[in-house]
Amino acid sequence: MIITVTPNPAIDKIYWIEQLCLDAGELPVMRATRSYLTAGGKGINVSIFLARMGIENIAMGFIAGETGRAVERRVRDEGITTSFIWVEGETRTNVTLLERGHEQRPIQITEQGPTVPPDALKRLLIHYKRALNRARYVFLGGSLPPGVPTQFYQELTHIAHQHHVPVIVNAAGEALAHALLEKPWLVKPDTRQHTEIAGASLKTPREILAAGKEWTARGIEAVLVSHHITHDLLITCEGAWDLEARDVQFQNLLGAEDALIAGVLSATVQGASLLEAARFGMAAATASAESEELVVTDRTAIERVLPKIHIEQLL
Amino acid sequence: MKVKEIMTKDLTAAEPTMTVRELIELFYQSGLSSVPVVNEEGRIVGIISERDIIEGALPGYFEVLYGITDMNHLSQKLREIEHDRIEFYMTPEVIKIEEDEDDLTAADLMIRKNVKSLPVVNKDGILVGMLRRIDLLKDLL
Repeated sequence: MIITVTPNPAIDKIYWIEQLCLDAGELPVMRATRSYLTAGGKGINVSIFLARMGIENIAMGFIAGETGRAVERRVRDEGITTSFIWVEGETRTNVTLLERGHEQRPIQITEQGPTVPPDALKRLLIHYKRALNRARYVFLGGSLPPGVPTQFYQELTHIAHQHHVPVIVNAAGEALAHALLEKPWLVKPDTRQHTEIAGASLKTPREILAAGKEWTARGIEAVLVSHHITHDLLITCEGAWDLEARDVQFQNLLGAEDALIAGVLSATVQGASLLEAARFGMAAATASAESEELVVTDRTAIERVLPKIHIEQLL
Repeated sequence: MKVKEIMTKDLTAAEPTMTVRELIELFYQSGLSSVPVVNEEGRIVGIISERDIIEGALPGYFEVLYGITDMNHLSQKLREIEHDRIEFYMTPEVIKIEEDEDDLTAADLMIRKNVKSLPVVNKDGILVGMLRRIDLLKDLL
């Protein structure tokens, strides 16, 4: 059993439009040629991927209102076990506009999410500790809603380690910086908005390597960092590798990072080495980027992309 | 069909130390009207419903009255118990079913015991989901 924690789940609504025309006339109207609605948030995307790969998992997090009900329903319909904590307010709806020909630069409007009161935090910890009795891995990912302290992932990692369960953290900013102190098993910094984590810059491959080496020397098993859209660097105590996806036909980059992590996790659970798992994850991310689907979960489609993934050992 | 194939995989549950107020908030936010009560390991130690809370506030209420005649009285009684632990009001004898039982056994149990839902446990007695009447009906279609 795998636990995924998404503190700030969402309903993700994606619109495909022909042309973004904000200044055309007084009241511009853009008609979507297609739209797509799904339950989202990093952990939930990972949960959906795992469930479709036949891997049992529990989705946890805070949900609220009608949007929360929609999230819960959609997650359950995927066969995922739910253990959400209900709070007042409304789970967020995130809107993405994908303009034809500019799919690499989606326009996103994200809501803040409901405020999480202290008693809800306490209840999540109770549920989490209970679930850890049956867990093999924990995935922690995404932004923190108002009311959730930046030490949240650190605390969850600490508790998981008390239960001898390895943790993957995919986060940014202070939340990740705090989590690093607990030495998670695998770290995937979210560098979309923050390229600096705990004082380390992650802008260039050289900077990523330096930070990765420092973190693995401290006891983190593996660090995985994306760069230049089609590259990921895997750094472990045993070496460093650059994974490159070649000849990618971009359709939708939105869920690619979540597919990457979910692919790594699913391959790991099935016994793959870290490097093999990273290659499978990269293929899952590439297949997702080449599809209009948020996260591609068709194993055949992912395996078809595997030859596009090239690995170069750096250290 | 096995119960684990048709159940609702939801672990929403209360703890014995939860207060009546917290439970009412949980029912209100989640839309549920009853939840299993579990210990730290996830083993079921009871079940609690809205009805248990009303009866906790006004013992014998359902037997004596056919309709609510005094909301102020109920409100006052609820406030008196709002900080009480729910373990005082839960039903400790829980009708539950194991995940590997079949749907016929579950349906029979629900009819015989006149319950709308059954907590589902694994072989270790840990809560793994809930089987509702609607899950069975959907399974039968």
